[in-house]
Amino acid sequence: MTLKVLAVDDSKTIRKIVSKAFSAYDCEVMEAENGIEGLSIASRDKPDLIVLDITMPVMNGVEMLGKLKGQPDLKDIPVIMLTAESGKENVMQIVKMGVRDYMVKPFKGEQLIERVMKIFTLKPKIVADTPAASQYFSTDGDIEIIALPDKSDRVVFAEIEGDFVQSLKSMTTAGRNKLILDTRKIKEINMLMIKFVLALVQNCVKSKIHLRIVGSPALGNELKGFQETSGFTVNATVEEAKAAF
Amino acid sequence: MTDISKLDLKGFCTTATRSVFHTMLSMEVNIGNAEPGMELSGSKIVGCVSFTGDVIGSICIHVSRQFAKIMTAAMLGMEPDEVEDDEEINDVIGEVSNMIGGDLKSKLCDAGFPCVLSIPSVTTGSDFQIESKGWMRHEKITFGQQEQLSLVEVFVKVIA
Repeated sequence: MTLKVLAVDDSKTIRKIVSKAFSAYDCEVMEAENGIEGLSIASRDKPDLIVLDITMPVMNGVEMLGKLKGQPDLKDIPVIMLTAESGKENVMQIVKMGVRDYMVKPFKGEQLIERVMKIFTLKPKIVADTPAASQYFSTDGDIEIIALPDKSDRVVFAEIEGDFVQSLKSMTTAGRNKLILDTRKIKEINMLMIKFVLALVQNCVKSKIHLRIVGSPALGNELKGFQETSGFTVNATVEEAKAAF
Repeated sequence: MTDISKLDLKGFCTTATRSVFHTMLSMEVNIGNAEPGMELSGSKIVGCVSFTGDVIGSICIHVSRQFAKIMTAAMLGMEPDEVEDDEEINDVIGEVSNMIGGDLKSKLCDAGFPCVLSIPSVTTGSDFQIESKGWMRHEKITFGQQEQLSLVEVFVKVIA
């Protein structure tokens, strides 16, 4: 079932970031720019989750939360509060208000998703026939290849992770167990990418898939710093990686 | 209550600015001390949030229009050329000042100066400056990437 999420924030930018974070999952994100709009949408659409900013004009998040808790049909909707203030008093106040969780800005979309996953199981979005991430997957003989695009952001990684679950099933069914991750188009190695690689390595180990990584020597050096990938050799080309199986 | 003159306001601004740029924009910025009277010339955008309570003041970030575009693109995951909407730029600058201000406000509260934060305001133009008069503290730092010089300044006065 599609998870209905209501994002209430006066900043369009934050609402976009929240929407983008959920875009790789089977979720419908509704938006409101203040507490009054938020209450109205919550009453009408009964979301499964509300991501609520505190500091907003017209009606702030604290007032909206108070009104939500006063309505029998809305009081049990889990609320994750967003706040720019990390002070002790502010955090204590948020906790006392009965929210499920809170996030201090600045935050990354994937951090929000991690919090949500403590409450709900998020299913990757699967689009029939042409999955969004399928453009990054290809097959060469008995080898599956994932080629990361140059602009790999958290949405791309989430899409690929979602599609990889499907890909794993078809690989297992077909008796294939070789995978190449081609990272050569990536210009900048960041923690998002490293996290993706580490998750992929763990998945491959769990599913007994042989993984080879193609990329720059800089990536090889970065990966040496992590237990899961310390023994990994990063190949310079896909051909080299194929030969290494 | 801590003595306001002993609070490391520059340190607070430095940490918050680094954190916001790293987390929300995936950008590493260089931070430095601003020379007295240092201002941005040309078209600029200033985002401000105010705090009021036992202590009053504001924190403002000054960025060139060009850097504001780069920031907006980074925050929304697009190319700077794709940013055409002033509303988007203003929203990003407002939100960045809100986050930096929120962090400073929390540190002031934790230091014994309870206060509340305003919603951000954004001013755009090419020939204006913000004057500081009658404040107990006025600190300014520079931040940016390569040639893109920007400023964060904070004004504070104790009321209680």
